Amino acid sequence: MRRHVGQRRRKQRRLEQQLRRILSRARRHAYFSDFRVSFEADVVSWLPQLRRYARALTGDHAWADDLVQDTAERALARWKAFRPNSNLRAWLLTILRHLYIDQLRVRREIAVDEENAPWRNLEAPRGEVDGLVLRDVQRALYCLPLEQREVVLLVCVEELSYQEASIALGVPVGTIMSRLSRAREQMRVLLTEGPIHKSVSLKVVRNSS
Amino acid sequence: MNNDARPTDDAARTPDLRMLSAFVDDELSERDSAVVREHLEHDEAAAAQVAAWRAQRAALRALCGATTRDDTQFVVLRPQVPWWRRTALAACWLLAGAGLVVCIEQFVLPNLSGGETMSFARRADVAYAVYTPEKRHPVEVAAAEEEHLISWLSKRLNRQLSVPSLQEYGYTLVGGRLLPGEAGPAAQFMYENQNGARLTLYVAGIPKDETAFRLFRDGNRRTFYWVSDGMGYALSGPIAEGKLRSIAVEVCSALGGRPEAWQ
Repeated sequence: MRRHVGQRRRKQRRLEQQLRRILSRARRHAYFSDFRVSFEADVVSWLPQLRRYARALTGDHAWADDLVQDTAERALARWKAFRPNSNLRAWLLTILRHLYIDQLRVRREIAVDEENAPWRNLEAPRGEVDGLVLRDVQRALYCLPLEQREVVLLVCVEELSYQEASIALGVPVGTIMSRLSRAREQMRVLLTEGPIHKSVSLKVVRNSS
Repeated sequence: MNNDARPTDDAARTPDLRMLSAFVDDELSERDSAVVREHLEHDEAAAAQVAAWRAQRAALRALCGATTRDDTQFVVLRPQVPWWRRTALAACWLLAGAGLVVCIEQFVLPNLSGGETMSFARRADVAYAVYTPEKRHPVEVAAAEEEHLISWLSKRLNRQLSVPSLQEYGYTLVGGRLLPGEAGPAAQFMYENQNGARLTLYVAGIPKDETAFRLFRDGNRRTFYWVSDGMGYALSGPIAEGKLRSIAVEVCSALGGRPEAWQ
């Protein structure tokens, strides 16, 4: 009789253990799927900014859209690689940057001075900001090397802090500072005394869209 | 940023480009900003620079600061194939390829070339080419000791051999020798006619039983070969195919084969 009771108790204990294991697994699963859903929403919420940055970086709307699509896809596929509570935007920008550099290598960087450089197809901006003609600013921007252009865009347009920019680009803050100051100075030189005003052959193809 | 190991206590120092740039972005500590602001008051060039940079930033924002909200926001997700499934698929293809190679080697190639019996004929042909030009030692045991020759080779090949007579074609036995075969000993009997032309009969055990009667050509030499009752026979000589064939048929029937099957 007593032995029977002992067996039943043991069986019960085993069942309880199994149940607990199943429950904890379900809870973990739920946590991960919750995390995944909110992660996806967060990624999607950054897409407009990513697109803006990609357009400015590449100077090519179609390319930028592809780039953003690829970035979002890669980010969603590698959601496990993202450490929660770290900077999602910087992480996305890093992915975008890697993709852009990969694609640049494939497309053999089109020199900015080339007649058919993609940025020339951008809608020619009209207007003046504090004495600077936007068209010239645009041209100066695409005269900068990629390293400087991305820092300028991230800090001035995307309003990233130096810290965030350093995470996104994977370089120390000091490097961000020097690249930024060099880029600014070069742009200023290009805008004030550069050959821009002299070059009459500035060809701007206006997009009708 | 003040974590850049920048000495900030040196108030007299003129701020460099990096500091001015950080000043524009509000990234300096309050103390550093104060230093820069004070410096700008009596350095017109630096002040102009900072102003230009501010204008630049405003221009850049005007230029690329607009987000286009009206864009359809969607992301196309290609289905993710897990790595193990891709690996498994690759392994499957590899296995299938290897299987195909094995199949071809096992079944197709031998059928194309005649396989074992083909290499048997080649050996017979080579043996012919090596020993028939011999003037002084064409054979190990001469025909004078025919009985000894037959018993010796029969013992080595573990099989009762007999030497067919080719007298009616004008060929007499010269003798025979022991040779290494594909998988054991092989015997070669040599015949000669009065003009000195030689024929050889090459005999070796072949595990595969095949009744086919085949011809192997190399240069002007012809080798007819066949397998009968676990033994392979090859008759080689530099004579016309028709004649060699009729001799081969004769030899085959003399040795207990069924040459009728070939005709």
